[in-house]
Order: sequence, then structure tokens, then C-alpha cells
Amino acid sequence: MEEKKGGKMPGELKELEELVRHHIDSFDYMVDRGLEIMLDNIKPDVRSRTNRMRLLPFECRQAKTSYTGKFEADVCFQYDGRPAIREKYNFGQFPIMLKSKLCHLRSADPQKLVSLKEEASEVGGCVREYESSLTDHSSVTVRLYYLRNGSARVGFWVRGREYLLPVGIVLKALVETTDREIYENLTCYYDEKYEKVKGAVGSQLAGERAKIILDEVRVASLFTQDDCLQHIGTHNFINISIAVHFVGGTKVDSILYAGEHFQPVVDELENKTSYTVYVAEALLFCRSDFCARQPRFLAKSGNLTSRALDDHLSQAESLEEAQAFDCVEEDKLLTKLILFELYEKLEEWLRKAKTLIQEEITKNNTFNFLAVGDVRKVVDKNSSVTISSALETMLRSGRLVTQTGLDLQQLLTGTQYVTQTLIRIDMKSSDMRAGYTVQAERLNYLRFLSFFRAVHRGASFAGGRTTSVRKLLPESWGFLCPVHTPDGEPCGLLNHMTCSCRVTSYFDSQGAVKDFFDIRKSILGVLTSLGMISSLPKLVQAGPPKVLSVLLDGRVVGSVPSSEIEKVVAHLRRLKVSAASVIPDDLEVGHVPLSIGGAYPGLYIFTHPSRFIRPVRNISIPRKEDQDIELIGPFEQVDGGNGGRSDAFPATHEEIHPTNMLSLVANLTPWSDHNQSPRNMYQCQMAKQTMAFSLQSLRFRADQKMYHLQTPQTPIVRTGAYTKYSVDEHPTGTNAIVAVLAYTGYDMEDAMILNKSSVDRGMFHGQIYQTETIDLSDEGSRSDRSHRRFRRSNTDRSSHAFIDSDGLPYVGQMIHPNEPYCSIYNDITNTSKPKYRKGSEPVFVDYVAVDTKSKKHLQKISLYTTGGKMRCMPLSSVFIICLWIVTPSSSYVLEGILSVSLRHAGEILVVALTNNTVVNIRFRHPRNPIIGDKFSSRHGQKGVCSQLWPDIDMPFSGVTGMRPDLIINPHAFPSRMTIAMLLESLAAKGGSLNGNFVDATPFSSSVRVANAGEAKTESESLVDELGKMLKSKGFNHHGVEVLYSGVYGTELTCEIFIGPVYYQRLRHMVSDKFQVRSTGPVDQITRQPIKGRKHGGGIRFGEMERDSMLAHGAAYLLHDRLHTCSDYHIADVCSLCGSILTTHIQPQRRIVRDIGGLPPVKGPKKVVCHACQTSKGMETVAMPYVFRFLAAELAAMNIKMTLQLNDGA
Amino acid sequence: MESISYQRFPKVKIREMKDDYLKFELRETDASMANALRRVMIAEVPTIAIDLVEIEVNSSVLNDEFIAHRLGLIPLTSERAMGMRFSRDCDACDGDGQCEYCSVEFHLRAKCMTDQTLDVTSKDLYSSDHTVTPVDFSDPSDPNDPFENTETQRGVIIVKLRRGQELRLRAIARKGIGKDHAKWSPAATVTFMYEPDIHINEDLMETLSLEEKISWIESSPTKVFDIDNVTQQVVVVDPEAYTYDDEVIKKAEAMGKPGLVDIRAKEDSFIFTVESTGAVKASQLVLNAIEILKQKLDAVRLSDDTVEADDQFGELGVHMRGG
Repeated sequence: MEEKKGGKMPGELKELEELVRHHIDSFDYMVDRGLEIMLDNIKPDVRSRTNRMRLLPFECRQAKTSYTGKFEADVCFQYDGRPAIREKYNFGQFPIMLKSKLCHLRSADPQKLVSLKEEASEVGGCVREYESSLTDHSSVTVRLYYLRNGSARVGFWVRGREYLLPVGIVLKALVETTDREIYENLTCYYDEKYEKVKGAVGSQLAGERAKIILDEVRVASLFTQDDCLQHIGTHNFINISIAVHFVGGTKVDSILYAGEHFQPVVDELENKTSYTVYVAEALLFCRSDFCARQPRFLAKSGNLTSRALDDHLSQAESLEEAQAFDCVEEDKLLTKLILFELYEKLEEWLRKAKTLIQEEITKNNTFNFLAVGDVRKVVDKNSSVTISSALETMLRSGRLVTQTGLDLQQLLTGTQYVTQTLIRIDMKSSDMRAGYTVQAERLNYLRFLSFFRAVHRGASFAGGRTTSVRKLLPESWGFLCPVHTPDGEPCGLLNHMTCSCRVTSYFDSQGAVKDFFDIRKSILGVLTSLGMISSLPKLVQAGPPKVLSVLLDGRVVGSVPSSEIEKVVAHLRRLKVSAASVIPDDLEVGHVPLSIGGAYPGLYIFTHPSRFIRPVRNISIPRKEDQDIELIGPFEQVDGGNGGRSDAFPATHEEIHPTNMLSLVANLTPWSDHNQSPRNMYQCQMAKQTMAFSLQSLRFRADQKMYHLQTPQTPIVRTGAYTKYSVDEHPTGTNAIVAVLAYTGYDMEDAMILNKSSVDRGMFHGQIYQTETIDLSDEGSRSDRSHRRFRRSNTDRSSHAFIDSDGLPYVGQMIHPNEPYCSIYNDITNTSKPKYRKGSEPVFVDYVAVDTKSKKHLQKISLYTTGGKMRCMPLSSVFIICLWIVTPSSSYVLEGILSVSLRHAGEILVVALTNNTVVNIRFRHPRNPIIGDKFSSRHGQKGVCSQLWPDIDMPFSGVTGMRPDLIINPHAFPSRMTIAMLLESLAAKGGSLNGNFVDATPFSSSVRVANAGEAKTESESLVDELGKMLKSKGFNHHGVEVLYSGVYGTELTCEIFIGPVYYQRLRHMVSDKFQVRSTGPVDQITRQPIKGRKHGGGIRFGEMERDSMLAHGAAYLLHDRLHTCSDYHIADVCSLCGSILTTHIQPQRRIVRDIGGLPPVKGPKKVVCHACQTSKGMETVAMPYVFRFLAAELAAMNIKMTLQLNDGA
Repeated sequence: MESISYQRFPKVKIREMKDDYLKFELRETDASMANALRRVMIAEVPTIAIDLVEIEVNSSVLNDEFIAHRLGLIPLTSERAMGMRFSRDCDACDGDGQCEYCSVEFHLRAKCMTDQTLDVTSKDLYSSDHTVTPVDFSDPSDPNDPFENTETQRGVIIVKLRRGQELRLRAIARKGIGKDHAKWSPAATVTFMYEPDIHINEDLMETLSLEEKISWIESSPTKVFDIDNVTQQVVVVDPEAYTYDDEVIKKAEAMGKPGLVDIRAKEDSFIFTVESTGAVKASQLVLNAIEILKQKLDAVRLSDDTVEADDQFGELGVHMRGG
């Protein structure tokens, strides 16, 4: 322990950092290049520059602001062809991802991080400390819809709507071509020669279909490219601004525009055309009668979800169902979204600025465009800072607030099964705008980390009845964890990446941005040298089965003879693995072989970033040390011959270790291969809700709510992942001695008994840290905001016990509910208003931090001392220059004001008092285990503490004198079959006796057997191995022990299974949940008790409860519950007219007769019926108050209710 | 019924005695007595432990409750505890636990001024009463003492401080019992076992070969039996090592020789192992426990309630007397 004092070495955290690298890489790329590219796309030239400020994440956290940098851009104005005027504009703040290139923590080692008040093992990846991205995995798609009549439509998305164009028109519009060329291209895959040969894909129908497509264009009398463009411009776009674009624009413009929306990635027009042709070919092939099953053709399938479409093909409408040909798959990381959002907002801003200037020019003739100041004045009307605030809102809420829809809907619908109508899609897209960002709660470390590995398939699937999306498909195997997904509604939709899964990056291993153009060029070179015939414009290609088309990043680059293909693929793979070659190691080589009725054959190669990859061992190439690890993508995996089911087709690849298919959290379950599978899923959920050691830098945090386990331990029985991912830095539980027996009856039904003495000694002790932020500028009305500050009242001394002279609480103070903890003073009214603590339990003030953002209104700085000593805290922040001189008698502020001052007893003693102050007060709720708290082992075995049982009454071992910490019921095992928990108990017992940790990596036995081969013929079972360890230490082979009753001292009749098991404390605690009331607030109208725990309400005694009371004949209890304890009411009823509404109390004339200063005697009140004008026949009747309410409601509807009273005969 | 007397005269034989360890035999009594003694030792022998902590300055990494809890668990020498008063019963003070009859005051002042981590330990606690101090675990007589090293001979670590951090507090220790809180328990472990009575069926044993004998002996995880090197007979070397795990009996049955050995627990003979936390010497712990057990029994015997309760409960009284 002493040696490790200095914290982890950077190298040890590498694996951990690897897990969130895709987030950071993506952000880095955005700042490096993405912004530039994005700005290039905006027509007027704008260059960007991001500045950074010396502001640390820690300070942002304290001030509850975003960790941002300044976002500035040069805007150029050009007018009448005169030289452009460059002007710098401030677009506000730009959020910065932790540990990205712009972050101060980028290259900080653990020591540095600690000194910056961060976690030593901080890996970054989140944007605002409170938010992070959900890896939103979706794709850009261009769809081709096959029509029943044999034609097809291209569907693409513009501003949130899908537009359909006949495929022929698109083909003609894109390049100047002839019908003949199109026809030949469309039918090239069919050749009579190859009919019925393996891999033949075409049929005679191909020609007919191509004809139909071309006829369609002819019928519309569109003969030239111009005609087609005109047609697209005028007929398809309802949106006026776009229509203008098409009609008014030049030919080139419209081509570009069509191209832009049509296929965002493939940039050259020629390529677009050939791709479309290719897709059309494939589509026609799909529909041809040749293929029996739906071909799983996907031009690109890094996008795992698109497979969802597979099962739905056989529905027919006038528009045949969708065929998603994903030309490109992209992992939408948060940063992409930021780019999109920025792009739109900036464009909007520029447009606005333009109109503003135009208006100004028309209005004001003297307006000189060259006067920079004037222009600036006009443009400034259009606030530029709104852009950053919009961005901030997007990050905070995860919602896209946009009129145009950002063209993002297609990203999500791309994965969806699209039915006939467009309306339906629009409907769905409306609710798909939310959920792009997610709060990364730091409840515990595993939960926090899981946020960065999560993949969500879109909220739109959640409601649907279809389950096929939720399945784990062959291509996701090894990329997504089959265990780590929640059960219930989001099951299979919210997935987590396996621990070996990576996302391809924009950066190469040296950290430089990859030059994809170069990479593609070198790949093309390799391919050509291997005999690829490159595709040339206007050259009609042959189709399969003679040759296979080669697609590189969605471009048709050529074709390879099918006889050569195996060789080409093998060669590419060899180059990929070898370090020396120019071919990147994350290249995806998807080879769809020729087959009958299979997927559309071809060779699909991908280089671009944001693809899933994972390492596997390539055993087909000669083995050199460490040269056989190949990174494969999902597409390669399915058709890449990973199989090896028979000797004829030997396996080409091999898993490195079976645990690679599990996510980080799933990897932490010891011997999960011995458990029933749902239990492992439950554990993945529970691990993420344990009250654990969430942070080492807890003191410097101002999170809303933090759970903290006081004395955590590292598990004795552990998997390899614990060491690999430094999980011990944030342990989640305690090794408890668990006895499995039915002892007192308090362990029935998953309840568990805790040993009171163990709890006394600190087992499962914990705290909740809760921060309250009081922003004076948010308090009260706007008018007197500037006159408020923290100060306690001088007149009211009752609160001085709770509130210090600065108006804030004393650190370390215990505050009970309804006691004041801070006081706000109003300068104008000269009153101070204390704030009272809510809740139901006493809390301690853990720390107080004052943050003043504004330099103005510095009014008073009071110095506060504890124990007579003063020290100044070091500060590092841009807006603050703080110098303090402290002498024994006085102190001076030299310059500036203090920004963040921490007040921890004895440490920081300075508080700046100004206006606009934000104060963070952190409270500590002691949460030691009590009856009703929830605990769980690592095997999905959760239970609720039912008793804190006295130590002396616990069973004890005669030999060692040990008493268990925890007792669970044996019935927890038979139906749940969590064998690993029993193994863990055995192993931990042996491990603790021998003084070492036990490795419990799942599947390790199978790996060992495979490696050892025949050397060890008779492999021992795990239990025997563990049993031997116990026996050597004088314990029973099976882990059982003879225990004696703690109460009687006699031997228990059977031997008890007892041993240490790692237990987690879950965050669900009774203190947060109990609900009880005898009296309390009632509803205004009905006078019945209100609902809701927060408001002191009760739990409803509803109909079913009533029924059971009736069934029991418990009439008195029923009356008590439903009447006496509810809205009991005594009403005056006039028996003459039977009304309860007309009675009223007649005001009594007070007879003023003071007898010796005593208060006057109240006469009996007189109740009179307003209708009968008499008090005769007035009776009192007990009834529920709602009855009176009912009578009043009926009266409002002109229905009179009369009561007939009698004497209960 | 009346004529039969259940009075017995238990005997104690001490086997091994160290300051914090005691092993003794308790004979001629039954399990209820042995267990009562065990329970009293764990939960009812009073000790002194820190119960109230007033923190003046705490800038350490641990929060106030954590430190208070750690302080509470430090064993204090409690020879005086038997003679002290519970602060709730103390007449001499007004219940704030600051009088010499019921409480002891401690002070702790520690501040780290160097770049090296400062360990604040139980040695830094200054007691107002020299008879009540944190237990010193170092044993100068033991050459293998792990605390021998002067560097580490610093008692129980309370908290570690870095430069500039400070801990200053006042603590009040009070008398209490383990039933209320485990910190007042003087016993680390108290356990007893029934003395086993092992009879080997020599005739049957002789039918076994040497290998069989060895395998039979080795079936027991503890070393209870052994082979006499001279006679090659199985002998009982350490009956008390037997844990009642029935392994040898099962083994004998598996070998087809049921009744090879007959093991019974003697109903009236117990072997106690007492380990003390250091608050009181293990020997004193047993004596105190007996004293308290006697007091408790006296309380029952002398209580008016016992007589009254009989009438009060009517028929139930018979049940309560065990009739």
C-alpha cells in the first residue's frame, strides 16, 4: 500500500483509457478538422478558431457552469466583388471534452491530475461534467424502394422529409448519359451463359425491369439531363427555398445540390452514378425470382441495426417495402451532432445577418458597406452568442430544437423498418429528436464508465411490438455484449460495447489525422496490382458471377474476376496485419462470396472512421509473434469465413479470449460461465446501482447527489478485468462472511440478516453527499436581485446557533429538518430571510463553497477565521487574480476577487461576499445500514436487510469462533442456479486462508484445456481444485462447517455452508423510500389525505384493499380507514327539506357582558336552513366530506339531492 | 421432583494463558452454562471506549463521523471499567459524561507540517486518566513482534494527513457493554467446543491394510489420527482437533467399515478459547464475565418481579417457570 501511494502509473490506466478513447478521438477530430470542414460547407466563408482559457474542469464543476472555451470565427463580408472584409465574431462558449486536445488535462499524469483536484484515474470523455454522449449508432442511408410494377424509387432526406424520385430520373440527372448506357449498366449482372451456375444472380427479368425504369423517364418526357434536373427542381420540393435553388440555380448548382443530399459521402458525380447503378442492380437482383431468401445485402454493414429489415420483406403495398442500402454507416458520436447543430445555427445566423444588412441598405441610403463599424452594428443586432447557448441547451436536454430537422431523422429512421407511408415516418421522427445526450451519472464508477460504452438503437423501437431488433445478430457478436443489457423494456435496445470492441478513429497510432485520400489511393494501387480492372466512366462492366465488383468506401472502383477473389482477399488481410504496409490495420475487407440465393456478391472495403472493430487472431496466416492479431469489423465477421465448422472449411480466425465477448461490467462477474444467464444480466444492472467508492476526489466535487461507501474492499475472488481496468481504484463492495442457512425466519423470501456487531464495526457504512446550489440571482423577484446577499440577521439571535456571521452554515454542523442553514439579506428592506432545510433526516454540512462570477458590486469581503489561523488557497482561474496578504491583525485584498473559495474546516477561511453569488453547500447524509436497505452479491442475488441481529445470537463456529456477517436463505439457490456464488464462497475461503487472491475469470478452464491439449487428460473440476485448497487448511472439502447455535450453544443439526462473498450495497435505501403518516396535509376539495411521499401524503387504501377488508368482514377497520382517518365530516342536515347545502350557521349577536375580565361565554351556535328559514329539524350527520362535495357538484348541474334522515332503525 | 437436585460444581482447568489469549476447560456443567459464559464475555463485560467526539478542526480526507467511528473502535485499557458507572446512571455528573466516575477525556492534536504523510495513531491520543489509555500492542518480550520496529510502533492508525492538514478533537470515553455497540466488546473471539470422545474399533481397524489406514486418516482435514510408527496402529493424536465434520465416519462407511470409529461429544465438558481485544486481560475477562453472570442471576433471584410475575401471569406463570 505504501508503494502505491503515489497513485497509478500512467501505463496502468491505458486499458481504461482505451475504453473511452472513441469519444475523445471524435471530439479531437471535431476541433481539429471537423469545424473547418463544417464551415467550408457554409457558403459564405467563415474560418474558425477556438481559443482556450485557463479554466479548469474542477472550477467549472464548482461554479456549475460548462467546461468551455471561447469560440470565435472570422466572418468575411464581400460586396460587389470588392475585397472581403474580415471581422472577428465571438460566438460564445464552446463546450470542451475532458482530456481532449483542448483540455488542460490532456497529457496530465495521475499526479498532476490529483493536484488539479481531479481523479487520478480520470479518463475523460464527457463534455460537460454532467453530460456525455450516448453513442448513438445510426447511419446515413439512401434508400431504394422497389415498386411492384418493376420500377424503383430513390428515397432521400431533405430537411426532415423523405422525397422519392424515380430511379431513372436520378440516374439521368446525375450525369450526361444515354439510355443505352443505363440499360447496359443495369443489366450487366445477367448473362444467359451463367444461368443456374453457382453465384449467378440475374434472370431474364433484369432486362425487363431496366426497360420499365427507362420507360418511366420517357413517359414523363424527360430526355436530357436538363429536363431531369428541371423536373426534380419543380416537382419534388415543396419547400420553397429549395425549389428556388433548383429552378433559379444553374445546372451545376442543381447537380451539386442533388448530389449533396443524395449521397453525402461519395463525392464525385461519376461515382455517385455508378453507385446508384450498382445499388439498382442489387435491388433488381433481390427482387428477381432467383433468390429464395431475402439477400442480406448491405453495401455497408458496420451498421448492425440495419439488419432489422431482414425479416420484413414479404409485405407488399403499392410501394414495395424498404430496402436499406446503407451506403455508409457512421457512428454518430455526440460531436457529430454538435457539428450538425453548429452548422445549422451558423448558417441561420449568417442568413439573418444578410437580411439585416439588406434591410439596412434599402432603408438607409447612406449606409456604407465598407464602414466596418456600421456593419458590425447591424450584424450585432443578431446576437451571435445565441449559438453557443443553443448548443448548451442541446447538450443539457439532449433535444434538438430546430425547425429544419437537421436532416438527422434519416439517421435514425435508416435503421427502421419503413412501411408504406411517409406520414408514418414523419410521425416517428418527431419523437426521435430527443435523447441525443445523456447524463453521465457518477453514481459509481462502473455506471459512469458504462455510459461511454453504451449503444442505443433509438427510442423509436422501444414502443414497437417487433422483437427482432433486440436480437443479438451474428455480426454484433463480439462487438456488443450479450449480457450487459437491461431486462424489460429497453432489453436489446440499449447495448454495451464489449471490452475489446473499438471504434475506428480519425487518428492513426501516432496521433496524426489520417489522410484517407492517401490510404484509398494506396489500397487502389494494391488492388490494381492484384488484377483489379478499375472501373472507368461509360465503361460497361460485367457482373457476377464472372467478376465481382469492388466497392471502396461506397465507391465502385472496379471489378475482380471471381476466380481471383480469394487470393485478393487473403493478400489484403496479410497486408493489413503486417505492420509495415501502408494498408491500415483497421481496414474492413468484406467479401460476400458467390452463392445461390445468398447476399449480393462483391468485395466491400472500408477505411473510414467510426466503424466498430475488434481484435481476433488470424490463424490462416503464418504465425509470427504478435503479428497475427487482426482487427475485424462486423461485416467481415459474417461472411469473412470465421467459421471452421468442418474440416473442409477450416477456421481462419480465432478469438483471443472468450471474455472478449463481454462488456467491462459483465467481465467483473466471477465465473459467470457457471451462472444461469439472466443472473449475470441482473448483476450487470446491479453493479451499476451499487453504493460504492464513486470518486477519490470527492472533496472537490459539487455533484447534486453522490453515494459513497465508507470502507470498501477489493474482492478476494476476482476476474482478470479487475486488474486490467483498475477497478480497484473504485471498489464497489465488501467481502462479507456469508452463512447460508434458515436461521430465524428473518431470512425468508430474499431477506437477509446482518450481524449487528459487524455493522457496528463499519461494514457497509456509507454516506450520501448532496449539494445544494443557491444562486442569489435566481432568488426572489428580479427587482431586488442585486440587493441580496448572504448575511445573518443581527436582531434575530435564535438562528445564530446554525448560521455563521456570513449567512452561511458552519462546516461540520448538524442540521435537522426544518432548521435554518443559510440566510439571505435584502439591502432594501433590511430583512433577512433564512432558508430552512427540508427532508426527513438530519444532515451534516460537509463543505461550503462560494463562487462569485461578477467583478462588479464587490461590496464587502469579510474574513472568517477558525482557530485563529488563516491560510489562503491557491487559485488558478482566468477571471480571478487573487492575492491575499494576511497579517495577524488584518488582511488586505490586493487585486480582484476570489472566485471559488472552499471552506473546509480549518483549511480555507476566506469568504467573499458580493452580489451575484452562487453558493454550493454540500450536505452529508449518514447512511449506515438499517433494516430495509438493499444488498446484493455479484450474482444477481439481491436481498433486503430484515434484521440487525445481535452478534451473540448468531451461530458460531466451534473451531474458529467466527460468526457470519450476513445470513441468507438456502432457498435463494435452487431455482436461480447461481453456482458461481457458491464457487466464490469456496474460493474466497481458500484464498483468505492462504492469503492470496483467486482468479475467477470466466471460461478460463476451457482456454486452459484448449491450450494444454492432451497434456492434461484428466482435467480436474473447479470444485475439486478449490476443495483441495480448503482441505489443506483443515477445512471441509465442500466449504461447510459445523456451527453452534448462538442462543443455545448446541450444535446445529446440519453443517452450514459458510464463506466470504463479495457483497455490494445497492443505492435503494428505506430512508429515501419510507412513507408513513397519521395526520397531515389534505386535499382542498375533498379533504382526503393527499398522495405523494414528497408532500407528506399517504398510500392509497384503494378498491382492492377495500374488497379484502369486506371479505374479511372487518367492518370497523374499514370504517376507520375510509372514513375516520380520511375525510370524516359532520354535516348539518335539514330534515325538513333534506338538504345539506342550504344550512348555515346564523351569526350570533355577541352579548357583550364581561364578567370580571373573562372572555364572553360562547352561546350555542344556531344552524338555520336557508330554504326553510327555520332551525327546526336540523340534525347533525357524520359523512365523508366528498359527499358534501358531490351534493354541491350535483347542485351545479341542477340536480337536487335530498337526504331522508331516520334514527337508524 | 423436589428431591432431585440439579446443583453441579463446575470445574475450570486453565491450559494456556497469555495476556490476550486464554484456553481453559470447563467441566461438569452443561451447554447452557457454557454458552451463557460465552455470551456474557462477548456482549456484557463492560469496557471503556470513546463515545463522544467533539471535533474542533478536521481538514483530513476523512469526514467527522468516520473519524469518530474509528476512534470509538480503538480498544482502551479498561481494568477500571468494572468499578466505573454507566454515565446514564451517574449521580455525580449531570449526564454530560465528564466526571471521573463515569468518563475519561481524551485530546488529539495533529498537524502535518512536512511533505511526508503523517500517520495519526492511537498513540497521539492523550488521556486525562493514566489508567485508561489506548492499548499498546507492542510486546517487548516477543522477539518476533510485528510492532517491534520503532518506525511502525505507532499504535492503531486513525487517519493519515498530508501537508497542511490538521486534526484537532476532544473525545470522551465512557463505560459500556458490547450489547449496545461492538466497540465495547472486550472479546475478539470467544468460542467453546465440546470435548470429543473418540473410540476406535481396534478389531475393525486391524482389518484395514496400511494404505487403507493412511487414506482413512487423511480423509480428515485436521490431524486427529495418526499411525504409530512402531505398531502401525491407528492412534488418536489430538482429539480436540476434531471438528465434528464426520469426514472419517463417512470415509469409514465408504470403505465398507461402518462403526470403525465412534465419536461422541461429551455433553458436560467444554474447551474454551478466549481472545481479548486488549481492553482487559483474557483471564480478567473470564473472571469479570463470571462476576456479571452472577450479578444477573442475583438480579433474577432477588427481583420482586419474579415472584409477582408468577401471580400476574396466572396460568402462564407455569409455562414461564418451565412447568
